Amino acid sequence: MTTVSLGRFLLKRAVQGVFVIWGVVTVVFLLRFITPGDPVTFIAPLDASQELRRRIAAELGLNRPIYVQYLDYLAGLLQGDMGYSYISNTEASARVFARLPATVELAVAATVVAVALSIPLGVVSATRRHEPVDYGATLFSLVGISTPNFWLGIMLVLLLAVQFGLFPTSQRGTGFLPAVAGTVGQFDPGLVVRLAVELRGEALLAYLGKLPLVTWLAHITLPAVTLGTYFTALITRLTRSGMLDELGKSYIRASRAKGLPESLVRYKHALRNTLAPVITVVGLQLGTLIGGAVITEAVFAWPGLGTELIRAINLRDWPLIQGSLIVIGAGFVVVNTLVDALQAYLDPRVVAD
Amino acid sequence: MVDLDWLLHPVASGALSRLREALRLSPRTVRNLRTEFRRSALAKLGVGLIVCALLVAAFAPALAPHNPTNQNLNDNQLPPLGFDRQTTNTTSKMVNGSIEIVNETSWVNSTGEHPLGTDSLGRDMLSRTIYGARTSLIVGVIGTGIAALFGVTVGLLAGYYSGRIDDALMRSADVMLAFPSLVLAVALVGLIGTASVRVPDPFVRAGLTPNMPETFTLPGTVIIVVGLVNWVWFARVARSEALSVRSEEYIKAARAVGASDRHIVTRHVLPNSITPIIVLATIQVAAIILLESALAFLGFSGTTLSWGFDIAQGRQYLSSSWWIATIPGVAIVLTVVGINLVGDWLRDALDPGIEGEGGGP
Repeated sequence: MTTVSLGRFLLKRAVQGVFVIWGVVTVVFLLRFITPGDPVTFIAPLDASQELRRRIAAELGLNRPIYVQYLDYLAGLLQGDMGYSYISNTEASARVFARLPATVELAVAATVVAVALSIPLGVVSATRRHEPVDYGATLFSLVGISTPNFWLGIMLVLLLAVQFGLFPTSQRGTGFLPAVAGTVGQFDPGLVVRLAVELRGEALLAYLGKLPLVTWLAHITLPAVTLGTYFTALITRLTRSGMLDELGKSYIRASRAKGLPESLVRYKHALRNTLAPVITVVGLQLGTLIGGAVITEAVFAWPGLGTELIRAINLRDWPLIQGSLIVIGAGFVVVNTLVDALQAYLDPRVVAD
Repeated sequence: MVDLDWLLHPVASGALSRLREALRLSPRTVRNLRTEFRRSALAKLGVGLIVCALLVAAFAPALAPHNPTNQNLNDNQLPPLGFDRQTTNTTSKMVNGSIEIVNETSWVNSTGEHPLGTDSLGRDMLSRTIYGARTSLIVGVIGTGIAALFGVTVGLLAGYYSGRIDDALMRSADVMLAFPSLVLAVALVGLIGTASVRVPDPFVRAGLTPNMPETFTLPGTVIIVVGLVNWVWFARVARSEALSVRSEEYIKAARAVGASDRHIVTRHVLPNSITPIIVLATIQVAAIILLESALAFLGFSGTTLSWGFDIAQGRQYLSSSWWIATIPGVAIVLTVVGINLVGDWLRDALDPGIEGEGGGP
């Protein structure tokens, strides 16, 4: 496979992606016209006169023909303008992008948890078939894909936060980067060594527990596990069945027969061929990750895009509803295109199709 | 392991062969299903769990010990059998002319009246959990039906005609896929509002269970929305099946003898695409049950008799009454595990090799 055709493939996917994002924007824009309720009723006081209602509609530009509003909205979006929030006195885009990092951080943390646990678990499960570890992994993945993540989150809070007080029950604390910066700024290795040498364990733990990075970790652990469990279970399942398929193929037998070390056969050959289909399914499931993030945020009062979207829906704050939905939809398309690119890189046959 | 060989009993087999004809499954497929069922303990467990859930949902008024909506504030937050709950009563007393605050600790014990305890308003948790099965299964099955009807139609047309229709339909599917089903469902239900339909309960109508609620509330908006946000999965599967059979000899033959497109699609393309659709539908019921519980948890439901709703209200009493949020979740997990096990059984027996597992949180 030449780099030229890979490049053309990626370009084609990117152009497709742009069209899908345009579709996303259009659907989100039309949502206001296909759902019942006039935005003005939510903004105007209950006893507002017809005249006041008309003035509000005119001020927000809601009295113009749909296609004018649509073109105006598209033109605004191209300049990063999502309109002005109806309820809070800010640009909708400012609120959306202020909330986005928390959601991305949560989704990335969950993915890290999922990938770090599931691929080793799936591989071990496939190579030690019918041993206790295999049964354990199979049971875990069955229950994992069958558990509502919001309930799992509540159970984790009940056990680890309420009963044992190991983790905070909700909220985010600081973001990852400020936490790193804060920790680097205030970390005092001399103090840690002194406390360790003097065997003052409690004081040492108290000191470490106050470091911003540790606080960050304490806050994100339960939400990340909550969101990541479904994916851990799913990828474990896929890795296991994929590995079993691959290990039964003749090229594996041939590699073993010619005396390649078992680890090379397993991890270089079988695992690599397993990962391509796994990535396809994970790409298809990215939407579930984002949807799961919305509800995980609700459980842990995580200040992300999901909590913002739900708040905006309840208040009918249309610019915020539209902005959040577009960022979620467009984000999905972008990440999905990147997954396609990764897959094309791992498995050149994808490009040929 | 529960003995479920009665399912293979002649009467059941008769039903099975009628089902086979209705779905146009080949005898070989049915044989595979049977062999795989006999072989797999997990398939039996899954079928057992689903049969239990269906029976509980169907006979809810007869099985529930109490009316699930009756409040009894004197008996609020009663623990399940075998558990206690500690409460602290703060009272003020006059001691030697000054007011003293006295904290009295007492224990609330479980009673046989409420085997799984009561919620914050004194409603019986066992009865609520039994009635919750109705909501979950009805939404799961009807929602999947809507998604399948719409998705399969779109997918078959796209695959059969291909060309421009296919492009248009599949591009709109891509746009749909860009929205996570939960996000789209939350937006639609939240913006449309939660309309619900009250259906009279046949048990109460026949005078069999006079103390139970007279009507059962179906969350109408939720049922339609969960169907609409999940059609894409059916469209994709149906399309790829239709694409693969459309160039087969028998389709060409049917066309040559002058069969209409409608006849070919419903009589030839659909029956030959049915097995992966059945497997997908099974998995989708599980995904939609999870979706419904998530919507109800977020407060977007049309009924209060839902497992997700109870988890949301129990969450506020987590430190005093753990069971309110815990029990409905266990019910969800058992039901969804059952459906997923049946899905695995069908997939292993039919082996359609479909990718993706549908949506679901």
